[in-house]
Amino acid sequence: MATANKTVLYPVHTSLGATMGGFCGWDMSLWYPTGAVKEHLAVLSGAGLFDTSHMGVILAEGQGLRLFINRAVTKDISDLKIGRAGYAIVLDENGYTVDDTIVYPLYEGAPADRFALVVNAGNTQPVIAHLKQLPGGSDIKWTDLAGELSKFDLQGPASFKIMKTLVANPESVFDSLPYFSFKGEFDLSLSKVKLTDGTPILLSRTGYTGELGFEIFLPNDRAVPVWEALLEAGKPFGTIPCGLAARDSLRAGAVLPLSHKDIGAWPFINNPWPFALPYAADGTFTKDFHGKDALLKAAGTADYTLPFIGFDPRKVDEHSGKVLQGDREIGIVLSAVADMSLGRVEGQVFGLGSPEKPAGFNPKGLVCGFVKVAENLPVGTVVSIKDDRRALKIEIVGDIRPGRTARWPLKKAGA
Amino acid sequence: MKELNELILPTNVKYHADHEWVSAAAPFKLGISDYAQDALGALTYVELPEVGAKLTLGEEFGTLESTKSVSPLISPVNGTVKAINESLSDNPDLVNSDPYGEGWIIEIEMEASELAPLLDAAAYKALLENQA
Repeated sequence: MATANKTVLYPVHTSLGATMGGFCGWDMSLWYPTGAVKEHLAVLSGAGLFDTSHMGVILAEGQGLRLFINRAVTKDISDLKIGRAGYAIVLDENGYTVDDTIVYPLYEGAPADRFALVVNAGNTQPVIAHLKQLPGGSDIKWTDLAGELSKFDLQGPASFKIMKTLVANPESVFDSLPYFSFKGEFDLSLSKVKLTDGTPILLSRTGYTGELGFEIFLPNDRAVPVWEALLEAGKPFGTIPCGLAARDSLRAGAVLPLSHKDIGAWPFINNPWPFALPYAADGTFTKDFHGKDALLKAAGTADYTLPFIGFDPRKVDEHSGKVLQGDREIGIVLSAVADMSLGRVEGQVFGLGSPEKPAGFNPKGLVCGFVKVAENLPVGTVVSIKDDRRALKIEIVGDIRPGRTARWPLKKAGA
Repeated sequence: MKELNELILPTNVKYHADHEWVSAAAPFKLGISDYAQDALGALTYVELPEVGAKLTLGEEFGTLESTKSVSPLISPVNGTVKAINESLSDNPDLVNSDPYGEGWIIEIEMEASELAPLLDAAAYKALLENQA
C-alpha cells in the first residue's frame, strides 16, 4: 500500500480509529470503531458523513460540448438544464461500460462551454483517454480536478436539516434544489455557494445511498474544518463518520450499481438501470450515442442483470458465486451484501424506513444485491446462489430497500 | 483498527494462530480474539454448528459474517460441540462487544491435552507483533 493515494482527511480517519483498506488505488476508511452496521443504520435514521474524495472529477471546456457529451454518454442530456445533473454511462464501441458518471452542465457560451463529469475512483484517466479519441474529443480541453478537490457525502433523512445550518444564504441555495440538481461551480473560485465560514463549495443533491443527501465538493485546504463542522452540526441527529463498507451495503439496497462490478465488460442493457438509456416507446433509442449499435444488437442475446433479496443475512462469495435454477447453472453473482435494516415478516420484505412496517419490527438483516443470468426471470422467481460453502435461496425482486428518502421534497425533509 | 497495545488479551484462555481462543480450563468455551473481531468488523451473522457435531483440528465448523465478507471458523482443537451460544442468532454483535464473555461461540467437550499446542497470551501477542 506504500504507493496508495490518500485523501486529505487520511490522518483524521486514522486518529478516529478507522479500519483502512485499499479501494481502486486509494487507502480509504472501510469503517470506524462504531462498525459498518451502525453506520448503515445511522444513515437511515439520521445522517452519516462519508469522505468520498477518492472520486474523480473531469472538467471539459470547449465549443459545442453538449452535442459532444450527448454522443459520448447513454443518457439524453440534450435538455439537461444548467443546475441539473444526469446519471449516464460511458460505453465503448462494444456497448461495454467504461464507467458510470454524473454529468454536470455548468456553463454554455463564450469563451467556452463547461461541463463536468464525476467518475469513479481510478477511472479519471481511462475516461479522459476514451473521450479524447471520440470524434471531436481532441478539440476539448480535459482537466482532472480531483487533486484540488475534496468531496464529502452527507446522507440520510436529517442531512437537509444539518446542511442548512452550515450554508450561507440557505433560503436561496435550497430554493429549487430537487433530487439530481446542484448549485455552484467545480472551479470553486467561481462558486457563489459558500458555507457560513466562507468556504466555497459545489453542493449537489445526489449520493450513493438511496437516502436524502448531498455531495459537497470543497477545496482541499478546507477539508478538515468542514468535516468537523459537519459532524458537529450533525450531532443532534446522530451523525457519525461512515466508511466504504456502509456505503456499499446502502447502495446495493438502493439498487445502485458499483462500476466494474455490477456494470462492466458486457453490454449495458437488460438491467435495472434503463433510466440511463434514451429509450423510445418502441424499445429503440431516441438519439445516437457511442456504443448504441452494439447495445441494440445485444438486446436480444445479452444476459439480464436483476436485483435480488434473500431470506436471511447469509451471503455467498461475490467472486465465485453462481446462480442455479434447480440444478441448472444460469448465471453469476455480481454483488451480495447484508442490508441489516431489512427483514421479512410472513415473507414480505420490510425495512426500518418502511412507513407501513409492522409494530415491533426488529430486522435481522437480509442479503441483497445483483445477479447476472441468461434469462429474464420474472419478479418473485426463487432461485439459488451457490459457492463452495453453501447454497442459499434468493428471490428476484423489482426493488430492494423500501422507504428510501432520496427523493423527499426538501419541504418535507426540513419539517 | 485497534493498536496492538489496545487489544484485550486475557490470560485465562489459550489462543490459536487463527485468532480463536479456548478456555484454559474446563468448561472449554471457544470464541475469537479481540484482534479477530476488530479485523472482521461488525458481525451480521454467526453460523453455528449443531450440538454434538464433531470438531476436527484445522477444519471449518461455522462462519462469521460481516456486511461484505464470510470468514470461516476453523477448529483449533479436536472435540465435540457441547453447547452453542444461542444469543448470537439475535445478537451477532456480542462477538464484537464482548469477545471473551457474552460473545463466546461454542462450548467444547474435549481432552485438556488439546490445549497443549495453543499459545498463551504473551506468545499470541508476540505473534501479532510479528505480523504487524
